[in-house]
Amino acid sequence: MSHHLLSAEPGPHLLLGNEAIVRGALEAGVGVVSCYPGTPSSEVPDTFRMLRESGRFYMEYSTNEKVALEVAGGAALGGAMALVTMKHVGLNVAADPLFTMCYTGLPGGLVVLSADDPGCHSSQDEQDNRSYARFAQLPCFEPATAQEAKDMTRDAFLLARETGQPVLLRTTTRISHLRGPVTFGPLPETAAPLVPFIRNPQRFVPVPAVSRLRHKVLVGNMEAIREKAETSPWNREYGSGKLGVIASGVARSYLRDVLLAEGWENEVRVLELGFSWPLPLERIAAFAGSVEKLLVLEESEPLVERDVRALAQQKGIRTPIFGKGGNLTVFLEYSFPQVREALALLLGKTIRPDTACAGAERELPQRPPNLCAGCAHRAVYYSVRQVFGDEAFYSSDIGCYTLGLLPPLAAADFLFCMGSSISAGSGFAKSSGKTTLAFIGDSTFFHSGITGLVNAVFNKHDILVIILDNGTTAMTGHQPNPGVDQRLLGEDCVHLDIEAVVRGCGVSQVVKVKPSNTKAMRSALETMKERSGVRVIIAEEPCALFARRVLKKNHDRCAFVAEQDESVRRAAAELACPAFACSKDGVSVDASLCAGCMVCMQIARGFTARKKDGQ
Amino acid sequence: MSKDRARIHFAGVGGQGTLTGTTLLARAALDKGIPVVAGEIHGMAQRGGVVESSVLLGGWQSSVISPGQADIVLGFEAMETLRALPYLHQGGAVLSSTDFIPPPGVSAGRETSPTLAAIEAAVRDCVAHSWFVPCRELAREAGSEQCANTVLLGALCATGLIPLAPDDLKKTMDHALSPRILSMNHKAVDLGAAFVNQG
Repeated sequence: MSHHLLSAEPGPHLLLGNEAIVRGALEAGVGVVSCYPGTPSSEVPDTFRMLRESGRFYMEYSTNEKVALEVAGGAALGGAMALVTMKHVGLNVAADPLFTMCYTGLPGGLVVLSADDPGCHSSQDEQDNRSYARFAQLPCFEPATAQEAKDMTRDAFLLARETGQPVLLRTTTRISHLRGPVTFGPLPETAAPLVPFIRNPQRFVPVPAVSRLRHKVLVGNMEAIREKAETSPWNREYGSGKLGVIASGVARSYLRDVLLAEGWENEVRVLELGFSWPLPLERIAAFAGSVEKLLVLEESEPLVERDVRALAQQKGIRTPIFGKGGNLTVFLEYSFPQVREALALLLGKTIRPDTACAGAERELPQRPPNLCAGCAHRAVYYSVRQVFGDEAFYSSDIGCYTLGLLPPLAAADFLFCMGSSISAGSGFAKSSGKTTLAFIGDSTFFHSGITGLVNAVFNKHDILVIILDNGTTAMTGHQPNPGVDQRLLGEDCVHLDIEAVVRGCGVSQVVKVKPSNTKAMRSALETMKERSGVRVIIAEEPCALFARRVLKKNHDRCAFVAEQDESVRRAAAELACPAFACSKDGVSVDASLCAGCMVCMQIARGFTARKKDGQ
Repeated sequence: MSKDRARIHFAGVGGQGTLTGTTLLARAALDKGIPVVAGEIHGMAQRGGVVESSVLLGGWQSSVISPGQADIVLGFEAMETLRALPYLHQGGAVLSSTDFIPPPGVSAGRETSPTLAAIEAAVRDCVAHSWFVPCRELAREAGSEQCANTVLLGALCATGLIPLAPDDLKKTMDHALSPRILSMNHKAVDLGAAFVNQG
């Protein structure tokens, strides 16, 4: 197959950071790829999926990050170079096997991609997963450009295979989602040869006696890897001057740009840490001792800073050290102006103030992300509000359906993480005594909702669970999950029936409805409202985007307003469908946006249906 | 602003082809041997949210443009041009579509969008050069409203503010776009460029 990522032409090619990671893994000889999708990591597995017919590797969308890491870890024990990808919070899910894998080591070579999200562009927290490199003891690479994303991925694999230690490849949103030129290296014909598994329970079965020994091996291996970091080309120096800066991650880019823009290249000496754990301590000590002042530039937590301060204390280095403080905080992302200001302060420079344009005189109307026109989640939430209103409390979960939190749907009162809706809702109902509903999507149900459901049955909790089954992993770009229709999954995967799983978990009060049938939806909710215990409604209807793009289902009908009456105005206010437009003349429906779900027609008699575009 | 080093901030609404335009301009730069990096934020875009992206020419390493740092704001929707204006440094340039896509609050009748005249006035207050291009109309003339994004790119390349000309963009399109939509996109570039050239 021909795809630009398989090209023998050196280029340069313009690649997304995440695509560059794919090329780097292929250049190293990756044989197995597993993942759970999540922004900003998703383009890595999605790109591998496009390349899967090349026959170079096996790839799968696993049901969650822990499973994905276990599959990849097992594959690396089986001898393959393996890659597992996830967003930063996914590594929390996968943390349990991660720690043990660092003890046992994985001879085939495993690279763990953690795509962090400082600034919470699309996440629930700003956690800094460089902490996992320190906590679990993984060597860590942090690319800052697309070229580095490719080259460091390749080198991460080579290190993982050479040392047998799992390696962390840590990006942030800005790195995963930048585009830049990448010059390709040679691409091997096939995946790297398998490293034969040699049976050795004294290493690979971590009972306490084994673990005590393996902990020592791990510390020894990390010390050997630190020596590599001392001379690694990814930890390099440039510039000259009395101010020293140790920079890592994306901060390296802001620093380079500031030095270029301000012409300060000869006033600052820089030590860049691209291979950022274990730290090259000797190199850092020599660097710190040779400058008059030292600034540590790192986005998010002051991890390098703390280690540098500890090192200085240990080695008696008296150089003043600066890091977090002033305008350099642990919050959000670093930026060009922030780094410039911090440098200017230490260099005693004054900078010309920025003269930004003023912008709007008043607050402009926002564009909050909204459920799509025709989205079945809207139909569910509408009916839920009709039946339960503010009496009930809504335990939400992670997916498109979280977007139902805003009024008028207001269908989310609390949320912890992937798969938490059923279990957190169970606890909430138990302590508060309030009627509690849990909303969970199909992919999230398979991710980690099932265990919560089993627990709810086992411990006799009182909760109404609504599984929003839209037949795809919609939020992250329609990746497959076990709930997807067999005809779409093809021969490589097997469809699992959610209702059978729910019944298999011991739930007897189960009903399946099509939420765009508002009467059926409402009656299911009313029936379940009268009952207690664990109850499940499976609201099954394809994602409107997925239906159009993948299933090629286009409704030939759309709604229009036949009569401007109170029912129409009320429906427009209660549904907040993006296809509606309201003006002083009343409500109208944008036929190009209307998906033809006809929920509005069922709840307000002023709406009626017509064929689209003269059909 | 140096002609060879430019930070261009893109602003639009999900579904307008803002990100496609970003990649196209970056590829055109790469094809011409100009150092380039581009950035984008994914996630909520297809759900009607604001889309912001960037193309930085001439040797920048970071793909992020902070407020007050953009040399050019390229607005694919008129109100988003106004929202993005604080990214621009005074004396920069603006190329904006005159088209509006009403946000939900405006569609619901709760809020109002600023008028095009108000947006133009706010822009002219702080920039040296600005162009308001009827992108949707010119795109229709080229063959499809889907080309509104390339109309604006064609206009940008005709300003002389960046080291890329409309022909550079078209050359890149020849291998970056599917043959089916190529000729209408060429035409869209020409119409955008002609709009700027006619002043």
